[in-house]
Amino acid sequence: MSVRALGLTVLSIALGLLLWQWAAWDVSRVVFAPPSAVLARLAADVASGVLLKALVDSLVTLALGFGLAVVIGLPLGFAIGRSARVAAMFDPVLNAIYAIPPVAMVPFLIIWFGLFFEARVALVFLMSFFEILVTVAAGARNVDPLLIAAGRSFGADRVRLVTRVMLPASLPFVFAALRVGLVRGINAMITAELFFAAVNLGALMKQRAQRFDTAGLLAIIVLLALFGLAAQGGLKGLEARLLPWHVRR
Amino acid sequence: MNLRHQLAGIAVALVVWEAAGRAVGVDLFAPPSVVLSEYVTLLREGQILHELAGSLRQMIVGYGLACAVGIPIGVAMGRSRIADALLHPWLSMFVVTSVASLVPLFILVFGTGFWFRAAIVFVASIWYVILTVYQGARGIEPRFIDVGRSFGASRWRAFRDILLPALYPYVITAMRIGLVHAIRAMVVAEMFIIVGYGGMIYRAGLATSTAPLLALLVTLMLVGVIANALLRGGARLVAPWYEKRVTSAGSAVP
Repeated sequence: MSVRALGLTVLSIALGLLLWQWAAWDVSRVVFAPPSAVLARLAADVASGVLLKALVDSLVTLALGFGLAVVIGLPLGFAIGRSARVAAMFDPVLNAIYAIPPVAMVPFLIIWFGLFFEARVALVFLMSFFEILVTVAAGARNVDPLLIAAGRSFGADRVRLVTRVMLPASLPFVFAALRVGLVRGINAMITAELFFAAVNLGALMKQRAQRFDTAGLLAIIVLLALFGLAAQGGLKGLEARLLPWHVRR
Repeated sequence: MNLRHQLAGIAVALVVWEAAGRAVGVDLFAPPSVVLSEYVTLLREGQILHELAGSLRQMIVGYGLACAVGIPIGVAMGRSRIADALLHPWLSMFVVTSVASLVPLFILVFGTGFWFRAAIVFVASIWYVILTVYQGARGIEPRFIDVGRSFGASRWRAFRDILLPALYPYVITAMRIGLVHAIRAMVVAEMFIIVGYGGMIYRAGLATSTAPLLALLVTLMLVGVIANALLRGGARLVAPWYEKRVTSAGSAVP
């Protein structure tokens, strides 16, 4: 990032915070808290360790659900995307499932998995699995046929063609799938904590909402957004290191 | 051949669902045959469509506002470096924010009435609308505009006759992606406070049979699929060059 771009980003954040402060000026603290109060609250919460402890507990759910989604979703998406016929067969079914809001599955997950850890993992899995599947399937479809033809004419067999040509060629899509899937997984994590039995950050949010503590609520929302941004940025950094040939603006 | 495979896919999915449903029983996963008869009963009672219409009305307000505000902002961000620099950090932040985490806050701010649900839908869909239009506006061939300008088009004419038509496909895509998020947000908000259609879903989950629950989900699925088809159809009317541009980008944009 150039100095100028960095300066503009800082300016943008400063302007946004000023606007927010100004908007919250005349409003009661109960209804809407200004950023100064939220940031002070966030600092206090981080210092006392409540937020981080809750976040770490939530991360176990996220890691398990997202991990399962990756392990199952990546190969399956690749298999679907490789064959035009299989892709055509799955297309209407996937579209139909995609049109159902994942949170509407919550009653189902309660019936199958109860209200606790298993249900939360299941919701994280469900929400990130479909994003990963759909993105990877699109990536496998988009492998440049020229690359495959070149590989073939240099005598690559099927296995080599898959491992040496198609996999590297669809890696950018794999990373895109991981990024989208991870953000959806984080969303699913907090959704699950609010919609099943309230625990961790979800329980904290419900407590604070009952006490009309908007600054406390906003502190958690900001923390989650920063966490999502950091996770996305981390994957982007990893992509830049592992796939230097794939230039991304 | 494509249609045949798609129909085959649907048939296979239905058969698998029926077999799975019969194996585990209606209390865990009702098979489509049971869901269908339950569906007819529910439709006769009439509550399902009534609640759905009420919920959709509130969703449309939030979604319509999100499109009306989001599309110009997306164009501005895509065409002006300053607007981009000023808004981008906030765009990236809001896009990763979970709708569910905003619900408790919005209840404190708006109560639990009409504006609460409209506001949640608005906030949930506007950032995706902005993001999609932004990406489209940024990617427009500078040559198109250069040619127009060198043939004497004023800035306004270049905007109206070159930029806007080139943007239509992205505007429609943005509206489709926004709609997916709007419907999701509607259900999140309604399930949280147990009202409207989302509330029906929540209550159906407490019944002993899963057939009513599945019927409600199928209806929601149909709404999504039909709305999507309508937007695509509308796109073909206003911008016949739409399909070509978008199918190359892939229909699987999240």
